[in-house]
Amino acid sequence: MTAPKITPQTLPDKTTEKTPQGSHLDRILGEMSVPIFFALLCFIGIIAADLSPRFLVNEIITRLARNSFLVLSLIIPVIAGLGLNFGIVIGAMSGQAALIIITHLGIGGLPGFLLAALISVPFSVTLGWLTGQVLNRAKGREMVTGYILGFFANGLYQLVFLVLVGTLIPMNNPKLMLSSGIGLRNTIDLIAVNRALDNALFNSVKLGAFKVPWATFLVIGLLCLFTSYFTKTKLGQQMRAVGQDMHIAEVSGINVNRTRLIAIIISTVLGAWGQLIYLQNIGTFNTYNSHEQVGMFSIAALLIGGASISKATIWNALLGVLLFHTLFVVSPLAGQRILGIPQVGEYFRSFLAYGIIAVSLALHAWQSRKKVESKDKG
Amino acid sequence: MSKKILILVLVVVVVGALALYLTRTSAPEATTDATNFKIGLVTGTVSQNEDEYRGAEAAIAKYPGLIKHVTYPDNFMQEQETFIAQVTGLAADPEVKAIIINQAVPGTVAAVRRVRETRPDMIFIVGEPHEDPPLVEPAVDVSFMPDQWARGKTIPQLAKEMGATALLHYSFPRHMSMAQLAERRDIMKAECEELGITFVDVNAPDPMGEGGLPAAQQFILEDVPRQVAKYGKNIALFSTNCGMQEPLIAAAMQTGAIFPEQCCPSPTHGYPGALALEITDEIKGNFPAILKAIDQKVKESGGAGRFATWPVATGYLHSIGGVEVAKLALEGKLDLNDIEAVAKVMGEAADTAMELTRLSDNGNFYMYTCDSYIFGK
Repeated sequence: MTAPKITPQTLPDKTTEKTPQGSHLDRILGEMSVPIFFALLCFIGIIAADLSPRFLVNEIITRLARNSFLVLSLIIPVIAGLGLNFGIVIGAMSGQAALIIITHLGIGGLPGFLLAALISVPFSVTLGWLTGQVLNRAKGREMVTGYILGFFANGLYQLVFLVLVGTLIPMNNPKLMLSSGIGLRNTIDLIAVNRALDNALFNSVKLGAFKVPWATFLVIGLLCLFTSYFTKTKLGQQMRAVGQDMHIAEVSGINVNRTRLIAIIISTVLGAWGQLIYLQNIGTFNTYNSHEQVGMFSIAALLIGGASISKATIWNALLGVLLFHTLFVVSPLAGQRILGIPQVGEYFRSFLAYGIIAVSLALHAWQSRKKVESKDKG
Repeated sequence: MSKKILILVLVVVVVGALALYLTRTSAPEATTDATNFKIGLVTGTVSQNEDEYRGAEAAIAKYPGLIKHVTYPDNFMQEQETFIAQVTGLAADPEVKAIIINQAVPGTVAAVRRVRETRPDMIFIVGEPHEDPPLVEPAVDVSFMPDQWARGKTIPQLAKEMGATALLHYSFPRHMSMAQLAERRDIMKAECEELGITFVDVNAPDPMGEGGLPAAQQFILEDVPRQVAKYGKNIALFSTNCGMQEPLIAAAMQTGAIFPEQCCPSPTHGYPGALALEITDEIKGNFPAILKAIDQKVKESGGAGRFATWPVATGYLHSIGGVEVAKLALEGKLDLNDIEAVAKVMGEAADTAMELTRLSDNGNFYMYTCDSYIFGK
């Protein structure tokens, strides 16, 4: 029974393999068109902006350290077929809640940072579980659901920290709270944990003229190792199977809902830690706004790195952060230099930044259509 | 295979940047002369706040070659990283010895701290800080902000001077949950009682509510005639919301009521729209000329002595006055701790008398009020 089934399946497979091999460069150019396009833009921007190279390299090192963890936290849900997890905003909120707690308790330095990482876990696991529950009921529409969930969670976050703190939640800290005794101030000073992780290791070792946050890069490296190891474990393989086809995975005995739930929980926890790394580097945080920027920009960076909603690798994430942030550093000055008017720099930058997100999404749509077409031909 | 391409792309970018680095002539790092300095100026774009941008343009016209002007993101709440990079980018130029941030949007404290890591001597002057004042105060050298508490007294006083027997305060719960605005209303109420003026507190629709700004504006246009019929023509109108200023001025003009000051006092706020005044290229950014044009219009419409405002926009003043203060401080001619001297410099920039008070003794957080300009007088 099985033998005749296999033979006709393998035959067309061989023929489809042959066609892309013939145009290997074409295929790679197609797959990598987005990063190549952005690398070109960055290159032109660097020349046009005429920045001091020292400033540029310094800024890129800072931004790689600041953002890589957040972008890497998006990979596992992509593998599990959940698309781009806009829900990391929720993780970021848990991270911030933990930071508020350690600031209130007055614990600073690396112990404070590690404690915040620990405190954020129960919050992010609970919220990640809830997010996963919702996303499991919205299969096929995970991205838009996650995006809207982010807004919903933002409302809850405001309710807790603007209204419940000082009323239902007893708290008395004039430095953190509004003068009325209800709600937190709009800015929280993180001087106690500022650069706690960045400066934790080999603080005095410089790479040439540049100060490098070694410990942060070490943590990012560990996350890369974890991600690539995780995809090889049984659970990781199950996620891959679920990501490829939920029904087949279900039939072969994988608990699809549970697997998806775990993917979202991991991503939310990593998102919380990513936000901690981001904020310890910045040094202050906007109580009610800092998390808003997280989802959109991390996702944009991942897309620019060549990822798509169904395929993302560590390399996509790291390359994406590099390209996206290089462009963000050079584009305002490039615009200003080329056109000579300061505010045009800002318009140029937002035009580029948001335009490129749209372009990269469109390019992906175009590529996936091309893939489907070539499959049909095969 | 795709990995190799990725690495190739990376290499291209890095090599490109390195090539640029090597082919460039070495940056002029050694020009740290006391007389040879530049001033960095960060403002919003015209779509975010026109006044501060025009102020920067005026300062650049006055001191060509002295100022490096960049803008903060329009979407500054979401793009803090970009804003911080703009400020650190200015500081990367060793000739820049002072930076003015107007408005000091969220992220200012972080940006200032980052710059101070490598440039501890950098002078920071900020206008209209958005972050918590006690946090901003010790981080920067000088902050400027209109004194909302003092305005709680000056507005009723001005209204009385203009002949008001009642003062109407339009607001809504969202604004009244902001500590500063709520406290200012309470001060106003007390001051009105002292001056023997009736204080009328009216709740208007929130422009962020379901009807949006049109509903709020419609309400103002309908409510002012009602209130004038009730309290007489000598009622002074005030609203806490920017979007309500234009209909408020228009309604005051129609009914003959008094309009002492906008929420954010400036000749360009509400008046041009309400009076159908065209801001031509000749008077754009030129406040004395704009004042003159409004004066003319107010007189023509028969509202002389019934309308007033501050003679200069706060955003404009922070840009141009900030540059003056920074320049004098860098030349060693001004002590930033000397409140009287700073008030004098700012007053000259504003072309009117200014009164400064400190937020606390923790730093130089200066809050000010200006002398008002009454149109048609």
